[in-house]
Amino acid sequence: MPYELHVLTGSYVLDAVSDAERKEFERHLQHCPTCDAEVRGLRETAARLARTCAMTPPARMEQQVLAATYRTRQLLPLPADRPHRIPRIPRIPRRVAVLAAAAGVAVAAGLGITQLSAQHQLDQARATAIARVVTAPDARIDTAPTSAGGSVTVVTSAALHESVVSASGMASLPSGRVYQVWVMSPSGARSAGLIHGSSLLASAVRPGDRIGITVEPAGGTAQPTTTPVAVVPV
Amino acid sequence: MSRPEIRQWQPEPAPPPDLAALLGRVARGDHRAFELVYAELSGPVYGVVRQVLRDPAQSEEVAQEVLLEIWRSASRYDPDRGSPAAWALTIAHRRAVDRVRAENACMRREQKAAEPDPAQGDVAETVAATLEHQRVRRCMDGLTGLQRESIKLAYYSGYSYPEVAQLLGVALGTVKTRIRDGLIRMRDCMGVTW
Repeated sequence: MPYELHVLTGSYVLDAVSDAERKEFERHLQHCPTCDAEVRGLRETAARLARTCAMTPPARMEQQVLAATYRTRQLLPLPADRPHRIPRIPRIPRRVAVLAAAAGVAVAAGLGITQLSAQHQLDQARATAIARVVTAPDARIDTAPTSAGGSVTVVTSAALHESVVSASGMASLPSGRVYQVWVMSPSGARSAGLIHGSSLLASAVRPGDRIGITVEPAGGTAQPTTTPVAVVPV
Repeated sequence: MSRPEIRQWQPEPAPPPDLAALLGRVARGDHRAFELVYAELSGPVYGVVRQVLRDPAQSEEVAQEVLLEIWRSASRYDPDRGSPAAWALTIAHRRAVDRVRAENACMRREQKAAEPDPAQGDVAETVAATLEHQRVRRCMDGLTGLQRESIKLAYYSGYSYPEVAQLLGVALGTVKTRIRDGLIRMRDCMGVTW
C-alpha cells in the first residue's frame, strides 16, 4: 500500500481532503483492505467526536423532516453482488475475541491476522486454519482442568469439524516425555499432534468425539499408552 | 475554536434502541421507525452540522437534508461497514463541509469568527454531557498539541488539511500524519472496536 495514500485515512475520514483526493482515495480503498479497515475504525472514532457536540435541534425541524418523508421516495437496496464490492476484512466479534483469548490465540482484529502467542513460529496456513476455527460463527469453547495441573481449552467449530486445543499451566515434563493430543472416538484414538507449549489444531473432529491429552515418550506414539491427564468432550 | 462547555452530569441514559434494526425498518418505509431514528440521531446530526457551519438557520437546513437523506438511503446502510451513528454522522459532516466549501466559506467563516458564537452560553440548547463526552475529552487531552489542533480544525471547523497546515504553519505531510496518528490514538484510547 503506498504510504502517501495510506496516511490520508485520517484526513479522508475527517472530510479534510479535496474532492479529487477523495475520489482517488476511494478508488484506492477498493483495492486496499487494510486501508478500508482503518477507515472504518477511524470513522467510528470521528462519530464519537461528533456526539460530543450534539445539540437539540429546533423543535419545528422534526415535523418538517417527518412531513418530508411522506413525499420522498426511498432508494432501493443495492444489488447484493455489487461489482466493486470492497473485499471485506470481517470484524472480529467480541465473543470471538474471548474465545481466542481463552484458546491462547491472539487475533489481530484490525488486520484479520491470527498469530499464536507461541514461542515458535507457525506457518501461515496453520495460523489461518486456527483463525478460521476461533472466528467461526458456531465456535464453542470447553475448558477442563488437567491432572498435570493447569487446564486445557478446546475451541470447536462443528461446521468445520475442527478444534483448537491449547493447554496452560501443565507441569513441565522430564526430558524424553511429551504431551500428546488425541481425538478420541468410539472407534479409537487418533493423534492430533504434540503440544509444544502453544495451540494445536485437531481436524476431522466429529460430534461426540473427545479431546484427550496423555504423557508419551518423546516423538509421540501411534496410540495412547498412559491414562489421559485430561479429557474434554467437544 | 470552542466547544460547548460541559455543564452538568446526567445519570447513564437508558440503553439506546437498536438503530441498525430500526434502519432496516426505515428502509422498508416504516415511518414510526424513522421517528425513533430521528429521536436518536437528530441531536448528533444537528450538533455536528452546527459545529461546522455555526450559522443556526443554515445548520437547520443542512441537518434537515441529512435526516431526510437517512430516510431516503436507509437501504444503503450496511451494518458490516460500521455503526448506524457513524454512517449518519459521516453523511452529516460531509454535507456540512461541502456546504462550507461550496460557498467559498473562507471569508464567511472569518467574519463569523469575529462574532460571538450564539451557541456559547446557551445552556438549554446544549445536550448535557455524558460519560462518553468526558471520555472523548480525556482522550483528546492525551494527544500532542499538534495532533489535537489538527483534528479539531479539520473535524470541528471543517478545514481541509492544506488549510490546517497553513493555519498551524506546518508542512502538509506533517498535518496528514498528525491527523491520522491522532485519530488512531483516539480510537485506541476510546476502545473503538470497528
